[in-house]
Amino acid sequence: MAEESAAATSTSTNHEVDLGHLMAYDPSHHLAAVPSSRAELREECLRKATELAQAVADALFALPATEGRDGPVVRLPPPANRLPREKHLPRPAPPTKWEAFAKQKGIVNRKKNKRTWDEQTNSWKRNYGYDRVNDDRDIPIIEAKMTDEPGDDPFAKRREEKKGRVDKQEKNRLGNLRNAAKVGALPSHIQLAATAIPITGTKADLPRKSKKEDLENVAGMASSATASGGKFDKKLPGEKPLKKAGKHRKFLPVAEGKGMGNLEKQQNDKILNSLLAKNFEEPLDVSKAITMYKVKKDNNRRKEKKSSSGSDKLKPGKKIHKKSSKKSA
Amino acid sequence: MRPLDEKETTMVFETLFKFTGPNLKHLLERPSAEGPDAEPGRYCLRLHKNRVFYASESLVRRATAVSRVRLAGVVGTPIGKFTHGGAFHLTVHALDLLAAHARRRVWVKPDTERSFLFGNSVPKSALARITENTKSGDGVVVMSMADVPLGLGLGFRVEEG
Repeated sequence: MAEESAAATSTSTNHEVDLGHLMAYDPSHHLAAVPSSRAELREECLRKATELAQAVADALFALPATEGRDGPVVRLPPPANRLPREKHLPRPAPPTKWEAFAKQKGIVNRKKNKRTWDEQTNSWKRNYGYDRVNDDRDIPIIEAKMTDEPGDDPFAKRREEKKGRVDKQEKNRLGNLRNAAKVGALPSHIQLAATAIPITGTKADLPRKSKKEDLENVAGMASSATASGGKFDKKLPGEKPLKKAGKHRKFLPVAEGKGMGNLEKQQNDKILNSLLAKNFEEPLDVSKAITMYKVKKDNNRRKEKKSSSGSDKLKPGKKIHKKSSKKSA
Repeated sequence: MRPLDEKETTMVFETLFKFTGPNLKHLLERPSAEGPDAEPGRYCLRLHKNRVFYASESLVRRATAVSRVRLAGVVGTPIGKFTHGGAFHLTVHALDLLAAHARRRVWVKPDTERSFLFGNSVPKSALARITENTKSGDGVVVMSMADVPLGLGLGFRVEEG
């Protein structure tokens, strides 16, 4: 016991303990000799790890502790090592329509007062919300202009105009968000709320809502996945009979568009050719076979060249052939 | 009515191949001038209730307008039928078609014509002519001396001479 504690104290002075991350690091550690076997390596690692864990525990218990409900509670100090960022810095968002316009015109934001003087009611009112300045409801009389026709309702017109403004604003807002989303600079609360836009990965990774037909298909499959193919099982109340009873077979279309149709022709050709080839009686034309083989090889080589001609810099250089000692006849 | 699937097509082609040989390709790629379209369509095989029919495409397309219940069952020329066990048997309705495309023919003497028509096999003594290179297992069209196709047959134990 004394040896162990002596060993612990002697080596603990070399360890750097970062209590904020509960981490212990020995900067001077290196394996004395290359361990001969995997088991030895494991032993060595375990021993070292025990030392370091002991160092962490020592430092932890050295902190001043308060009495908690389940035992001593210790407040960890802030970490000494700063870990790198997990995610990228927020990308600069493209300027909104208003921002672009304001920049172009040179408009600067002025601070507004909390309450504004309302001419209609002769009182101080807030700028928006309940009991606000310039509310349409506070206007008792609108004088008719020369351009107004007898049947017009100016109040209704005002309401419509306001609705138009609100809609336009909403459209602009969505357009701004769309522009930001294109760059990937959506504000985080909208990114989380928008379930249709993937946060990581592509759109294909989004879990799609299962449709009614999917559920029906699965129910059908499940109901026929019994030993007797779902024929003799008692049906639950409300369970509908299988849509496609019996073995499912898929056939080519009877009359596919114009002409015999590609699929049928392909199928027929395939069968025909294999049949003809099987029963071919004429002797093999060797020269023709050789030419066919050569042409095929050439085509393959050409295809490979085309597909791999992209990054020539990364490819190893062409093989250098030694001058052959063979002399052609 | 539906097109044949792969297994069925293989069976039909194999049986037809016994009679036509490489001419089988010609059978399928023959341009047919039946339809109203200027371009000639081609011939195809269709299955209706176990019977296989050989019809031109334009005919097939028009036949899709008839409901399956009302389709009396003949679209083009019937060439054979599938048995309950799944084997394919050529029927005599294919005679016309095969007689035109068959490779091997056999001419039967007038006395033995009747015997053949009533179902007996044709012995060698009854043959007046036979195409050369006929081997056993080859499909053969039996003709009368007047060059009228009488029926189909399979060559059996054909010897030299």
